[in-house]
Amino acid sequence: MKNFNDNDLELFSAYVDGRLDSAASTRVESRVSADPDVASVLADLRFARSVLRSLPKRKAPRNFTLTRKMVGMNPPLPRAYSFFQFSSAFATMLLIFTFALNALTSSRVSLDAASAPAAPVSAQATEAPAMQAPAATQASAMEMSVPATASADSAGGGNPTVAAEAPNAKEAPPPSSSPNQPKVKREAAIPVAWQIGLIMIGLLSVFGMFALRQFAKRKWL
Amino acid sequence: MDEPALIQSAQRGDLDSFNTIVLHYQDMVFHVALRILGDENLAQDAAQDAFISMFKNISAYRGGSFKAWLMRTVTNACYDELRRQKRRPTTPLEPNTKDDEEMDSPRWLADPNMTPAQQSEANELEHAVQHCLDALPAEFRVVVTLADIQGMDYSDVATATRVPLGTVKSRLARARLRLRDCLRGFEELLPAALRLKGENG
Repeated sequence: MKNFNDNDLELFSAYVDGRLDSAASTRVESRVSADPDVASVLADLRFARSVLRSLPKRKAPRNFTLTRKMVGMNPPLPRAYSFFQFSSAFATMLLIFTFALNALTSSRVSLDAASAPAAPVSAQATEAPAMQAPAATQASAMEMSVPATASADSAGGGNPTVAAEAPNAKEAPPPSSSPNQPKVKREAAIPVAWQIGLIMIGLLSVFGMFALRQFAKRKWL
Repeated sequence: MDEPALIQSAQRGDLDSFNTIVLHYQDMVFHVALRILGDENLAQDAAQDAFISMFKNISAYRGGSFKAWLMRTVTNACYDELRRQKRRPTTPLEPNTKDDEEMDSPRWLADPNMTPAQQSEANELEHAVQHCLDALPAEFRVVVTLADIQGMDYSDVATATRVPLGTVKSRLARARLRLRDCLRGFEELLPAALRLKGENG
């Protein structure tokens, strides 16, 4: 039997299936009468087709119906679920807000604490030399003009303002070391108890959501 | 069965409607999978996977031949199964005799409506045809299964296999000729009517 090309085979196969128009069918039929190999190929194609069509139809050995679990469908959730969802989200947001607020206020308090003692110290430090100089000039002038009284004054303690202010300038504490500085009490804007309460609300809501989901699943399947 | 209405309900997520469709088509889907895969257990897996995939993607069905769309999903599932088999080949699942030989007429093939002689004949023929189908390349097997065993027309086969119409015709013609060559070795198993048809054309 001679070998036919793909186009011929397609043509013969379509002829066997009755898929050709009348003109193409007539052409094939004329080739069949002229060439016995064409008839043989047609017989082979018909044979294969009839054997395949004669196969018994096999029934499914079981049902292939789907369950909700198979397709990953989620059960409808009760209304309370959305309430728990909202409350857990709200509690979380509030918790974050309280943390942020506390962090902000504590950093502000520490900044204030750091800057508050520095201002009087610097004020004292600038005032002290200015006050010390007039005091010194005043003392020397008094010594020069009234030597008698000057000795009496120096014996009696000198200028009371100088005596009172000079030690201040000398005793001005350095800004770094402040042992007697009053400690700033760090107080949170939102009490910790509130934060714990919010955490509890959030956890309870999550638990409620979980319980409702499990309940709905069990009821559904 | 109001198929369009059921499809629409299934597209809205109604599983019960989809299951009605499953019950209607499951024999056909299983039969096609069995012919393509040549193994009952694999065919069951492929059919189940195909139905799951169909439900998940049923919104993608936009009219046209539902059977062709269904067959496309089944052939895809069969190709997946064949790829899995290629990656990890397994031993045949057909039952064996005590002598560890493949059983010719396993119980699962039994049809209570046939006499033992008819049953035996049918089983042997089915085995022979399946053997020849298994010898074909997968893409030829799919086309010949859909066109000749399932009786689908060329355009539906082209839709189901996503290949051009010309390719379907070519594959079908070549698959038929290869099957003819293979079945020549089993001529004595063929019913007399078929032998006569083959000889006379």
